[in-house]
Amino acid sequence: MWRLSRVGYKAGRAGYILEEFRVKRQEHEKTLRQARRDRQLVSKRLLVNEDEDQQVHIMHTCSDKNDVISLFHKLQHSGPEREAHLKTLSKSLRDLSAQLLFIKQENSIHMLVGFLTGPNTQCRLQSVRCLHELSHSPHPSVGPACLPATPYLLTYLSGQSTKFTELCLYTLGNLCPDSDVVREKLLAQGIIPALASCIEKQKHNTAVVEAIGYTLSQLLQTKDASEKIIPLVLASSLPSHLIACLTPDQNFSLGPAIECAWCLHYLTSTKNVFCCDLLRSGEDNHALLACGALLRCSTLLASLGGAVAQGNKEEGIELLVCPLLRLTSRLGPLWPERVPGSSIISQILRVLANVAHKKKEFCLQLADHGLLSSLSATLKMAERETVTLSLDILFMLLTSGSQVVEDFERQGGNSLLETFQYCSEGDVRRKAAYLLERCLLSSSAQCMLCCIAGQLHPFVLTASRIGNATLSTKTAKTQLRKEKYASHFIKRTRITFKCITPTALVRMKRFG
Amino acid sequence: MLQPTSFPTSLGDRDKPDCTTEDILQDEENPFNFSPQLINLHKDHELFEDGDVERHMYLQDLYISEADDDKQTLSVSEFACHISGCNAVHGTLEEYEHHYNSLHRHVCSICRRSLPTARLLDIHIQEWHDSVFMVLAQRQDMYQCLVEGCAHKFRTSTLRKDHLIRIHKYPPDFRFDKAKREKGSGETKQQQDIAMEVVGNASEVLCEEQAKQVDQEESMEMPVSLTGTHLTEKDTPHEEMAACQNTNDEHLKPRYSYRVPSNVCFGHGSIRGFRGHRGRRK
Repeated sequence: MWRLSRVGYKAGRAGYILEEFRVKRQEHEKTLRQARRDRQLVSKRLLVNEDEDQQVHIMHTCSDKNDVISLFHKLQHSGPEREAHLKTLSKSLRDLSAQLLFIKQENSIHMLVGFLTGPNTQCRLQSVRCLHELSHSPHPSVGPACLPATPYLLTYLSGQSTKFTELCLYTLGNLCPDSDVVREKLLAQGIIPALASCIEKQKHNTAVVEAIGYTLSQLLQTKDASEKIIPLVLASSLPSHLIACLTPDQNFSLGPAIECAWCLHYLTSTKNVFCCDLLRSGEDNHALLACGALLRCSTLLASLGGAVAQGNKEEGIELLVCPLLRLTSRLGPLWPERVPGSSIISQILRVLANVAHKKKEFCLQLADHGLLSSLSATLKMAERETVTLSLDILFMLLTSGSQVVEDFERQGGNSLLETFQYCSEGDVRRKAAYLLERCLLSSSAQCMLCCIAGQLHPFVLTASRIGNATLSTKTAKTQLRKEKYASHFIKRTRITFKCITPTALVRMKRFG
Repeated sequence: MLQPTSFPTSLGDRDKPDCTTEDILQDEENPFNFSPQLINLHKDHELFEDGDVERHMYLQDLYISEADDDKQTLSVSEFACHISGCNAVHGTLEEYEHHYNSLHRHVCSICRRSLPTARLLDIHIQEWHDSVFMVLAQRQDMYQCLVEGCAHKFRTSTLRKDHLIRIHKYPPDFRFDKAKREKGSGETKQQQDIAMEVVGNASEVLCEEQAKQVDQEESMEMPVSLTGTHLTEKDTPHEEMAACQNTNDEHLKPRYSYRVPSNVCFGHGSIRGFRGHRGRRK
């Protein structure tokens, strides 16, 4: 189906004892929860070289502070070791005290900007790394010190060097939450058109798309985003690119999808921009976008649900499912009541049930995009809630069109439902039986009638062909052999007659 | 721009079932009674706490490796940039890729300046090397704002610079917005000009000759991207090469694309292509 790119989340880090890691993580989690309650939940991302030492958490000693100053002086003078010095500087700047010391040096940022725009491209790369380290600083005065570099970082977003562009993006993304002043400046310098232009040019590069998603998500989380930023983003081409990133095709990659899903979530969470009024309006561009987004999210959720049901334990799926669930519900716009302790599959199914319930066309689209095969997987799961919800959704799909019925039967749906005949849960048993009797057998009985009638009278056979004949005679004969089907056939004759085309009906009536 | 074309444009509803569905939905024996629940939740609701925290843990714990894991980095010995005139040397393919993409992608073939993006290159060519532009600029606003997405145009580059500083909060010494230089006569003045330019804007790449001289004065390395022959005093400058010695627009020949590589010669003065032939005739 699709490849999940490797996400390093929860990967154990070299040098850490597992217990120590767990304790640290718990503390970290507690801090974040408190930060969220205080409405102060803000994060930054650090891009490191794969050849660098993983133990970046180790505190630097005092000697590094002096290193920074000496490096700065060395860089101000000429010399061919400039690249190496800049590289060392970027590593030293990981330490907070070194950062503070550096920005206090006169012309330090100006020097970095000089290298950033200079003719030596390795120096450009190392200087953007230095700026990236500074942007990642937790101290509130360090980020804003990087402001002189922002017009250049934004210009480079339309450049051709993808690795460089990625670093520029993460640096800008880290600067976004720092202060109002920083954000005002970035907006004035055209960060949103720059991001739109970047994603248009680089949409096939998953690393760059992930970086764009991250930067945009940082912009969208700020408290004044709804007035200043969201309208600009919605007016640009960014939303359609974000939605396009959520296609579960062969090139699907988890990292970019996570970022894009969160961006779309932030776009819709502050105001009811994609609310049901817009959905009803039909003509509006937002309505189309919302419709497309809703279906794209639902189909992706269905794929993910199916993958999890089949035992795919890839790291990072929950990171994508969470924003998708919220987004789909909001686009719906029905938020499912959360049953405590319900599994991730149940949550997905609940949201999909809402979507399917909303419109028949959604059912057809969801079925087209593989929801039936996902349901075949979820129906086999042990959890009662999952099975019940799967049956509910299946009912909605099967009653939306005959093509869905045929597809389901072709996939072996009949035999799957038959397994529920001996289920201990009465509710499940009744629902499965109902589906078998009413939704599936009605179509097969209908075809049986055509075939039988066709054998009796050639003219009726013609009529039946005009009516419909989706099952072969052989299948119909096999069905006939089973007694219980015969009784159903007799009972439902009236209904099946109604399903044949009027022309055929007239002819059949004539010939009894 | 992508539009979801495969999705329904008319938003129908559930009121038109086919005959079987109608039967089923009205059937009293139907055990299916799913109905969605509507709950309005603010984004800061505690129900969302777990998901939000998980998201931020991911952002803060995640260390992304810059190179793809599957990609095998080819180890090669040091090699030089193949653009003649460029002295850069690289140890890895990635380094070279970055160098090439940054410096050799958007180069003005007249004055050899390297611009960072296609858009800035287009603006540069238009404003520096297009006489039609010059003519039009006397009558209407032709100088575009450099910020992508801003549609403003201005009568002069100074007005544009003013706009960049006031509205877009750009620095006054923005390195990708050099004003077109006035005519410079004589080498010394040009050297000074270029020296000043190097101090102010080291991102522009100039001819080898000047670069070498400058190198002694300035510590910044100056790679070159001069293709083909480099000028000596004896050669008659071609149209394309003219700006090398003379960074202004005195010799404008606007009737062809300025992106044509300089080793293709048109028009008078193209001694290079016929040198051998003339020699033989004599």
